[in-house]
Amino acid sequence: MAALVPPSPAAPAAAASSSDAEQPKVDYLNLPCPIPYEEIHREALMSLKPELFEGLRFDFTKGLNQKFSLSHSVMMGPTEIPAQSAETIKIPTANYEFGANFIDPKLMLFGRVMTDGRLNARLKCDLTDNLTLKGNAQLTNEPHMSHGMFNFDYKGSDYRTQFQVGNGALLGASYIQSVTRNLSLGGEVFWAGQHRKSGIGYAARYNTDKMVASGQVASTGMVALSYVQKVSDKVSLATDLMYNYMSGDVTSSVGYDYILRQCRLRGKIDSNGSVSAFLEERLNMGLNFLLSAEIDHRKKDYKFGFGLTVGE
Amino acid sequence: MASRVSLKAGKGKVVRKSAAADEEEGSVAAAGKFVKEWSTWAMKKAKVVTHYGFIPLVIIIGMNSDPKPSLSQLLSPV
Repeated sequence: MAALVPPSPAAPAAAASSSDAEQPKVDYLNLPCPIPYEEIHREALMSLKPELFEGLRFDFTKGLNQKFSLSHSVMMGPTEIPAQSAETIKIPTANYEFGANFIDPKLMLFGRVMTDGRLNARLKCDLTDNLTLKGNAQLTNEPHMSHGMFNFDYKGSDYRTQFQVGNGALLGASYIQSVTRNLSLGGEVFWAGQHRKSGIGYAARYNTDKMVASGQVASTGMVALSYVQKVSDKVSLATDLMYNYMSGDVTSSVGYDYILRQCRLRGKIDSNGSVSAFLEERLNMGLNFLLSAEIDHRKKDYKFGFGLTVGE
Repeated sequence: MASRVSLKAGKGKVVRKSAAADEEEGSVAAAGKFVKEWSTWAMKKAKVVTHYGFIPLVIIIGMNSDPKPSLSQLLSPV
């Protein structure tokens, strides 16, 4: 927390007693570390974008150890494939995914492999106290469809920087700095060699105990603003706006997030005419029941899903 | 190409210089192509190694962490 900067040695006693009544003076040399740049819309994303799914989902996580666990997941349901016409084409698929996770304070490994050979791998390693290496890859058997990316993150006392290298000659760097106790500002640049595109973006985040407001602008034409208000311990309301100034489309959504003792319910309504809700109910220790619904009135696409998660 | 368009008087010297320049350019281009080919080969091998070896690597690291789980715990479905 910000320390008081006493004007004279005799003042601290008086200052300490009055600090309860008024806000402490900001010590600009002792600001907290900001949120990482890619998580700047974190609260809004958690409340407004739950993992909606269609069909059946069953996840079983078996812990062998405090740090090591295996997971088995079965998903059955229609999958959308991109189609030229306005209609969405869905193909029923069923797949099984095996995963292994190793979570240590210094090293985290996360791997998931599907029956068709697709591997989704994540790695996070703390090279020193402040420098972290993160890697992320989606590998497939089809040629030219695999992606990989490495990030180097450096955390300073009140700033964070990140450098990214990805396949297809993708390079990126970002920097975020705490300007006051509540406000942090940041920027990023990226260069995509394969598509010969480069871009620059800025982001700002203002948060207090009760609310978080964040905004992001990028030269690719994206403007994203979000606002989350924590109405009480159990209820949060969130809203966001995405605007592309190059193509002119705008999407806005409003949602709620109820975090109750036995369940978590998130619902949202969109300006594209879609309403969605996601319920996670804790039936017992280690047994969670999921219900997901997404109704798109404009495209007349109705998606309902149910699932069970066993294990921590 | 530069060597063709040259005055007849100084042709010998210019041809030699441009040949040397071409050779140098050629060697730099060849070195660049060499590096690119090798790095593409290395990336392809790295992709295959990661694709087949990542999950076994996580399992090996997990099975060697404390407390050491047993093989029957790894293979049983319960």
